[in-house]
Amino acid sequence: MTLSLRLAYARREPAIWLAHLDMMRTFERSVRRAGIPVAYSGGYNPRPQLAFALPVGVGIATEADWLDVRLDEAAADHDDQSALWCAQLNRHLPPGLAVHSASRVLDTGPSLMSRVQAADYRLQTPGLAAAADQLRQTAEDSPWIADKNSKGRLVKTDIRPLVLRWQTEAADTLLVTALAGSRQNLRPDLLLQVLTARGGLDELAAADCQVTRTRLWLDTLP
Amino acid sequence: MSEQPVQVPRHLLRQVEKPARYVGGEWNSVVKEHRAADGTWRTRFAFCFPDIYEIGMSNVALHILYHVLNSRDDTACERAFAPWTDMEAGMRRLGLPLYGLESKTPLAAFDMVGFTLQYELACTNVLNMLDLARIPLTTAERGPADPLVIAGGPVVFNLEPMADFFDLAIIGEAEDLVGELIDLYRSSCPDGQRPPDWDRNSFLARAARIEGVYVPSLYAVDYQPDGTLRQIAPRVPGIPAQVEKRIVLNMDAAAWPDKPLVPSTEIVHDRMFLELFRGCPRGCRFCQAGMIYRPMREKKAVTLVGQASRAEAATGYDEIGMLSLSTSDYRELGSLTDCLLSELTPHHTNLSLPSLRLDSFTLDLMDKASRTRKSGLTFAPEAGTQRLRDVINKNITEEDLFRAMELAFQGGWNGAKLYFMLGLPTETDADVAGIAALLDKIEAIYRALPREKRPRSLAMTVSTAVFIPKPHTPFQWCGQLDLETIQRRQQILREHFRNRPVKYQWHDGKTSFLEAVLALGDRRLGPVIRAAWQRGRTFDAWDDHFDLAVWLDCLQVAGLDPDFYARRSRPADEILPWAHIDCGVSASFLRDEYEKALAGETTPECRLACSACGAASFGGGICFDA
Repeated sequence: MTLSLRLAYARREPAIWLAHLDMMRTFERSVRRAGIPVAYSGGYNPRPQLAFALPVGVGIATEADWLDVRLDEAAADHDDQSALWCAQLNRHLPPGLAVHSASRVLDTGPSLMSRVQAADYRLQTPGLAAAADQLRQTAEDSPWIADKNSKGRLVKTDIRPLVLRWQTEAADTLLVTALAGSRQNLRPDLLLQVLTARGGLDELAAADCQVTRTRLWLDTLP
Repeated sequence: MSEQPVQVPRHLLRQVEKPARYVGGEWNSVVKEHRAADGTWRTRFAFCFPDIYEIGMSNVALHILYHVLNSRDDTACERAFAPWTDMEAGMRRLGLPLYGLESKTPLAAFDMVGFTLQYELACTNVLNMLDLARIPLTTAERGPADPLVIAGGPVVFNLEPMADFFDLAIIGEAEDLVGELIDLYRSSCPDGQRPPDWDRNSFLARAARIEGVYVPSLYAVDYQPDGTLRQIAPRVPGIPAQVEKRIVLNMDAAAWPDKPLVPSTEIVHDRMFLELFRGCPRGCRFCQAGMIYRPMREKKAVTLVGQASRAEAATGYDEIGMLSLSTSDYRELGSLTDCLLSELTPHHTNLSLPSLRLDSFTLDLMDKASRTRKSGLTFAPEAGTQRLRDVINKNITEEDLFRAMELAFQGGWNGAKLYFMLGLPTETDADVAGIAALLDKIEAIYRALPREKRPRSLAMTVSTAVFIPKPHTPFQWCGQLDLETIQRRQQILREHFRNRPVKYQWHDGKTSFLEAVLALGDRRLGPVIRAAWQRGRTFDAWDDHFDLAVWLDCLQVAGLDPDFYARRSRPADEILPWAHIDCGVSASFLRDEYEKALAGETTPECRLACSACGAASFGGGICFDA
């Protein structure tokens, strides 16, 4: 039987500027400081066993992301201390990272990563609603081609099939639900690229856009 | 200068490599209000490292002084690093000034801006950071509202090439001194705020009386017609003709950060530090650190174990690095490592042991270091023949090397990295051939071991640096070998190691040449450094940024000959540019060592016999341990 502590956490400024490897390092050290009995991998270089649901790009905030911290065997002999560990961890996370819930789960099913189906995003920057309206008027079947940097090369990719639904909330706010996960994943910067090229969004506004992943959908599509 | 926090727009942070360098927010970073609880203004100190974040955050002086300064309620210490070229370009384009990472306050609004100078080639980065911060570059150009610009670190033992740019320098260890400096400064600032008519010169004249403080503008330098020095003398009465370095005598009581900063992004030395001792007992004649940090002063093992467990709890790091010039010279190393392992291993924390001497390498020690993670071995024989190792006083033999390598092979290592220097005084081609011969013998030792008792393949690495004569060493009178000979000797090794299980790395002689010019230089180089920076030189310590041609051009425009500084042997009676800086080791000791080097005579390490270098005058450390 393996036991994990499932954390729901948010990341805001300045932690949004951490790369995924930095996030892993930061959570590893925070978990160690907080005294959570994390399990270690074997081999020459044992690492605390942390499993993130879905890495997020540099410069993107999140409101509810998931992380499993695998617990060592001794933890199974004790009562559920999730609430205590959650409080402990919050005292040991650097500014911009906060856990809002923690629960003990039995690891029987597939990994969090493999269960991610979609994600909700909130984009905020001046002129966004107008650009979205303009993009909406393009023909139903016309592709939204974006240049994606793949291993140092620019690859043309159609991101339109990745967007499940979108709505403007205010003149500067766009809510997007898109496919996410290890198979098909929308990178919000590619959508901003299309909004710039096809919707007339100002380039600087696109580059300054505040991007927040507000929710991850597990197991089923929204 | 506005005190408003600098707001770096998202589009710039999205554009640059590793934006985490520029946003602060690291665990254990200290963010203070500008005013203390009693309403007085805090003294704001910006600790500046003139290279990128990953290198600067690996510097232990930063962590110690950040702790010392932030322990004072009346002081707020922040950090600033050299932005990488992408960020610098963006900041200049958007008109953003350089800021402190904690409060994002522009550096120009700080009371003090202190640079640690760890290597000479960082000099253009200092100017670039001052310029990005909109602080006038020279002490002469600064007014009552500009920050005090302070230098520290090993390069201040010859600050002369950089003298124009600093208001004052801290010679030696700053832990105690910096508090005295802040007390003096605050006595000139009612309510902690600098008055509009603040008099920089009168403050500097008083600061120059603090032991260990050097105010370059208060010393006059005269030259002979041939370019050598005639005299260095105080311009005003009441300040010392020779500035003696400051040190901390009781290392167990010395300030030490129990809650060190934990960077969120990976840095060069990404682990917690333990400083076992300062100084080094060995007396290698090329080594500046071995002279300027004398006398050797150890911490007790019990102190270190306490510091390690507090740091582990406060950081969450899973590796502990032992810092010292030669770790295996620490007297209690056996019991220290035993204690650390029993305390740390249950938490999967690993020991990292750099700087092992060949003659003290044991499998027990390496086993401890690789209890949870096996790291590479590095040794520094420095020279290829016993004759040359005697000249530099390395005091290790080829038998030490062969024994260590045999142990390593039997212990499962398939090689080691060996460090050597090219261009050491008296070196000939035969000494370089000696390096090749040592590696041939190591290969023979490997092949002679039974197959089941050795790793399946052999992989040695040889790395050669170029010898740079440094101030306050016995070789300070030596000239550097010419570039052509160095390149020819590199070629000898390249050819020898071709098609052998030896990887050969060599350090470029051109950067070492400029480093020698700057290390041995005088105040006439100030305008040269400024001109080189104006012509776009920054990050000179980075090989792919280095451009010797620009520097040679700037030297020529200034009418200065680089060979005069780097390649000239200096007579015993010449006044050296750093003659007014006293590191505690006497010039007569250094000269005796120079003579002994040329005669091939060695000098025993401090614990075998005291050689009366002068460091005993500090009244503590190894000089009194026996």
